[in-house]
Amino acid sequence: MTTQAVSASSSSATRTGARRRTLTTVLWHVGTLILLAIVLYPLVWLFGASLRPSHDIVGNIGLFPTSPEFGNYQRALEGIAGVPVSRFFLNSLLLAVGSVIGTVISSALAAYAFARIRFTGRGVLFALMISTLLLPFHVLIIPQYIVFQRVGLVDTYVPLLLGKFLATEAFFVFLMVQFMRGLPRDLDEAAKIDGCGHARIFWHVILPLARPAIITTSIFAFIWSWNDFLGPLLYLQTPDNYTLPRALQLYIDQTSASDYGAMIAMSMLALVPVILFFLAFQRFLVEGVSTSGLKG
Amino acid sequence: MTAVGRTRRVRAAVGMALCLTMLATGCGGGSGDDGTVELRFTWWGNAERAELTQQVIDLFEERHPNITISPDFAEFEAYWQARSTEVAGGGLPDVLQMDYVYLRQYAERGVLLDLNPQVEAGNLDTSDMVSGLAETGVIDGGLYGVAWAGNTWSMAYNPALFEQAGVPLPEVGWTWDDYHNAIRTITERTGVHGAPDYIGRIYVLELQLLQEGGQLYTEDGQLGFTRDQLRDFWNSTASLRDGGYTLPPQESAEVAPLTPLGADLVASEMSWDNFLVRYAGETETPLALGPVPSDNPEVLGQYLKPSMLLSASARTEHPEEVAMFIDFLINDPEAGRILGGNRGIPATNAQREAAELTEVEQAVVDYENSLIEAGDLQPAPPAPPAGAGTIEALFLRLGEEISYGRISVDEAVEQFFTEAETALAS
Amino acid sequence: MATPTVVREAVETTASPPPVKPRKRGRNRRDQIAGYLFLTPWILGFVLLTVGPMAASLYLSFTNYNLFTSPQWVGFDNYVQLLSDPRYHQSVKVTLHYVLVSVPVKLVVALGVALLLNNSRRGQGFYRSAFYAPSLLGASVSVAIVWRALFSDDAIVDRALRLVGLNIGGWIGNPDYALWLLILLAVWQFGAPMVIFLAGLKQVPQELHEAAAVDGAGRWRRFISITLPMLSPVIFFNLLLETINAFQVFTSAFVVSSGATGGAGGPAGSTLVYTIYLYQRGFQDLRMGYASAMAWMLLLVVGLVTVLMFRLARFWVFYGGDDDR
Repeated sequence: MTTQAVSASSSSATRTGARRRTLTTVLWHVGTLILLAIVLYPLVWLFGASLRPSHDIVGNIGLFPTSPEFGNYQRALEGIAGVPVSRFFLNSLLLAVGSVIGTVISSALAAYAFARIRFTGRGVLFALMISTLLLPFHVLIIPQYIVFQRVGLVDTYVPLLLGKFLATEAFFVFLMVQFMRGLPRDLDEAAKIDGCGHARIFWHVILPLARPAIITTSIFAFIWSWNDFLGPLLYLQTPDNYTLPRALQLYIDQTSASDYGAMIAMSMLALVPVILFFLAFQRFLVEGVSTSGLKG
Repeated sequence: MTAVGRTRRVRAAVGMALCLTMLATGCGGGSGDDGTVELRFTWWGNAERAELTQQVIDLFEERHPNITISPDFAEFEAYWQARSTEVAGGGLPDVLQMDYVYLRQYAERGVLLDLNPQVEAGNLDTSDMVSGLAETGVIDGGLYGVAWAGNTWSMAYNPALFEQAGVPLPEVGWTWDDYHNAIRTITERTGVHGAPDYIGRIYVLELQLLQEGGQLYTEDGQLGFTRDQLRDFWNSTASLRDGGYTLPPQESAEVAPLTPLGADLVASEMSWDNFLVRYAGETETPLALGPVPSDNPEVLGQYLKPSMLLSASARTEHPEEVAMFIDFLINDPEAGRILGGNRGIPATNAQREAAELTEVEQAVVDYENSLIEAGDLQPAPPAPPAGAGTIEALFLRLGEEISYGRISVDEAVEQFFTEAETALAS
Repeated sequence: MATPTVVREAVETTASPPPVKPRKRGRNRRDQIAGYLFLTPWILGFVLLTVGPMAASLYLSFTNYNLFTSPQWVGFDNYVQLLSDPRYHQSVKVTLHYVLVSVPVKLVVALGVALLLNNSRRGQGFYRSAFYAPSLLGASVSVAIVWRALFSDDAIVDRALRLVGLNIGGWIGNPDYALWLLILLAVWQFGAPMVIFLAGLKQVPQELHEAAAVDGAGRWRRFISITLPMLSPVIFFNLLLETINAFQVFTSAFVVSSGATGGAGGPAGSTLVYTIYLYQRGFQDLRMGYASAMAWMLLLVVGLVTVLMFRLARFWVFYGGDDDR
């Protein structure tokens, strides 16, 4: 890449410019990689630990074992109580995808209303929405559980997904509000003059422009659902319905022996789908949004 | 209360409508009309326990085709959070694994089933229990828990370090002074600390109280010791602490979640005898179990405590099947063989004989048997009062703060009594 | 004036309806209907799943409630007890320390890395994912294990610090440093605000930069006068949300400190953040009334902080889409 850049230039003036650019590019990569090494060290350590025998993990400060072994992965892949690991992955995936769909749709609708429509009570409702962020979840667990329990929805996925389709995560609504309010207002004014209603402005103007916010929301909704432990703990009873975090935590028990190796191996495996999801979606963050093309 | 009741009703009604619309996963479950009975059974423990328990469940279902057991399991802390949430919602599982420290709390508040009628009806047999364990689940005359496994407080130690320091191995008749001297000598001669500071362990205080003829909690559920007794206990290791003979708290925090003994940081540690299995999973150093120190050689203060019990929900619709299942879990030799020592040492003689135990588990059984044969075990005190779990955690926390020197013993004693009395009153 | 309308209305939650600008009546009524139509899912969720539990917890904060028996009204008892509870004071102290340090540091790191990655050089996908990877782990027991390992005595952090003459030893067992372990963990998982910053940076119209560059504005100048103002809604969002979340930090503190001999929040109460204490009161001591009172105290305080931040936002947050700029 560097040689290409250098050989591409011909005149001496552009050559120095190109050389300087090449130098900054190299420096940028070197600097970023050093920073990355620091940030990723703990993850590398975890990966190293997943290749150690279980009793050699806690309290061991080394990075990589001298003779790596894969017994931990083997045990992690065995499944739990007759339920195969693939089942936990599938359950988690189902919930995560459901969460993404529900959260994106419901939050985008609510955010559009807050950010782009003037209606009576908007301020009060917005304040109420923000206030739902402020209460620690611990005191809400029990009343919420009682609701779902009375209705007989415990041990189904409904309690875990219903809130997502009803925009109960104010974080996402607020996130999208912030993005949508940043979009130039003349866009929808123009659309209005063209006779567009809110539904069409939302769909054809705002949604495409709010793509970075939607992608961000999707990524977070996926990961949060993927890593959620408490919801599945309270609402899922049948092992066939368990998610990965519930399975993960079964390798540790303070009252009996703990298998740290299998647990770390499992959490390494659990990372793979989220990394893939992120890799797939972050591409959409790359392309900058150009508003100019839409103005005409 | 009425306000909550009303909102609940309203919410239930709205929720019902929701339920109809969100039918993707369908409403609830329950027992069918074809005569089959479904029981929910929950326990805490790790993946291996889940595996073995599932095998036992399969065996039970094979023998009782009309009963289906639906399992649910989690790690200890999470397990209890889920159970308290269920209690508030009014729906405990049909059969649940119970901890001794919570037994009275759950029983007295009326959420557990009295199993006595089932014993009388012949659905549940508790006659084969090892010395005294059968009585441990009795609260105010009702049988609210059935011991599934037992353990006793003990002294685990590393014989090699004792020998290296030239200290005699623990034997019946050694006193607390002997133990403290051993700690000093081992630390001086081997460079390994003789023991962790044990003042945070309420069971050591209980042990000493029992040795002196006292008790941790009185019959009416109050603290069985005075401020002075607690002060003496917390001061008793002060010189070991200050002299650097016991393990500094920093170092045990460093190795957590390993235990100090499992991390080879100390030569001895008092804990439940079945922890030997846990230590063995943490270190390859050979360890042994010995008698606890006592200034009163006639009374060691040890008793067989249920390390876990089985209880049933007061609201279960199938008390008979529940009793049959519990009976199977505690008595059936085949179930005992499968479970082995995973849940601790089985509570019934039949299962103790049937269980295939590892070498370490066998060592624990031998230890208990030797205590039983020598007549050293005393009957278990009544199940601890509601709030005992809080008090145990409080004791541990204050002990730690004393070890760190963040609080004086006098302050800690005052804090303990204030908090403990609140916990017992609520 | 750059006052964001929504925010102003949100802050002044007085019952008076927002000023309606003289407009065509038809448009206005259509807006009214459309507003509520778009909000229907959120309103449903709020009414069905949020309001009830919130009200219930407010009610419970005035009661003694042990989960087993019905709650008993005690008035302000729980709130009064909070004032004289030394452990409550400790948890407030620890939490403030945590919030005040972790939030700014995390945001600066997140913004720095986002700016570093906001270009079209090769391998951006890889870098982004790699920097985000620590946040993907969540706050699991694995994180606790690796974090404790890195900061234990004679491990990599200790050795590195000794090179610069700092001799701390193990962090997790030391009450003076254990909280810093949690702060560093929060900073390490800077992925979420980083991604939001990146998304925000993508929304800064490129032509503004180009126009400014043509006018001869340097890189720093463009950052100050274009990037920062255009990014301000996102900075505000991150600042507010990270603050709110830091006040409620639980899982990471819980899993990391659970190993302490005295239980979570240790050693010696040094990592006893607010919600750990709340959890212990609610679910271990089964004093849900007390825990609810704690929750509402937190709501009050964080609510005040939020209002204050919204007010201050008038002076520095710039919304490109506001009609009254």
